[in-house]
Amino acid sequence: MNFQMHRFVSWVVAVMLATFAAMMFAAANTQALQAAQSAQTPAAVEVKIDNFSFAPVEISVSAGTTVTWTNRDDIPHTVVSTDKVFKSKVLDTDDKYSYTFTKPGTYPYFCSVHPKMTGTVVVK
Amino acid sequence: MNPFDIRSALLAKHAQHVVLIHFPIALFITGVAFDLVATWTRRRGLADAAYYNLLIAAISTVPVIATGLLAWQFALEGQRLKGILLLHLVMALVSTVTIWVVWWLHRRVRKDRAQRPGFLIPLELLGVAAIALTGHLGGFLSGVNAPG
Repeated sequence: MNFQMHRFVSWVVAVMLATFAAMMFAAANTQALQAAQSAQTPAAVEVKIDNFSFAPVEISVSAGTTVTWTNRDDIPHTVVSTDKVFKSKVLDTDDKYSYTFTKPGTYPYFCSVHPKMTGTVVVK
Repeated sequence: MNPFDIRSALLAKHAQHVVLIHFPIALFITGVAFDLVATWTRRRGLADAAYYNLLIAAISTVPVIATGLLAWQFALEGQRLKGILLLHLVMALVSTVTIWVVWWLHRRVRKDRAQRPGFLIPLELLGVAAIALTGHLGGFLSGVNAPG
């Protein structure tokens, strides 16, 4: 291999390494950005109402999370905090109710039409 | 849940509205059945039984409607109803009015010697249908079909 050819191959390898390094840096940056964004905006959590029960019955979320209850039942239900922190209107089938939990604590709730239906949101 | 709390009494699994509703349903349907047989056989005793069943059915609608309206106030704070809840309320009022009208027509026939109206039996059957639909909706709402 003459000197010209050797120099050309060296340049190609150098460019490939630089491209690979740039891609790795970009990927790492994207992951870090996504992690930072998810830390700033907590994911929304959904609780399904069906068959006269809340599912999941107990959820644990971080402060600032918005919990959305969706009535998948054929029967109207409500979502009412035992401590009167939040209260929905009557939710017909496919109606939704959302509440954003800003303070840590335990929030038990029930359906005021069917008080046997209960659930809990634990905010950390 | 405190058993002596009025909300518990109205909204618990054995809520008073759910308990009391069985009285007008059973009494009215029995009264209509007695009236049909009395009309068919012309037996005075069965007509008396029909009259008193209808009378007590009409009286028993008062606490039923009262507890139903109170449950609406306590459970939903009187918010505007829609869907099954609204249909249940409307049909309950239709059923109540029908029960009272049927009893009043029977009373006119007995006390005032008025002629028995030809539409009385169709009206009674309409009342039975209205009560059946109201009870059906109420059963769904109460969660009687719920697991556990």
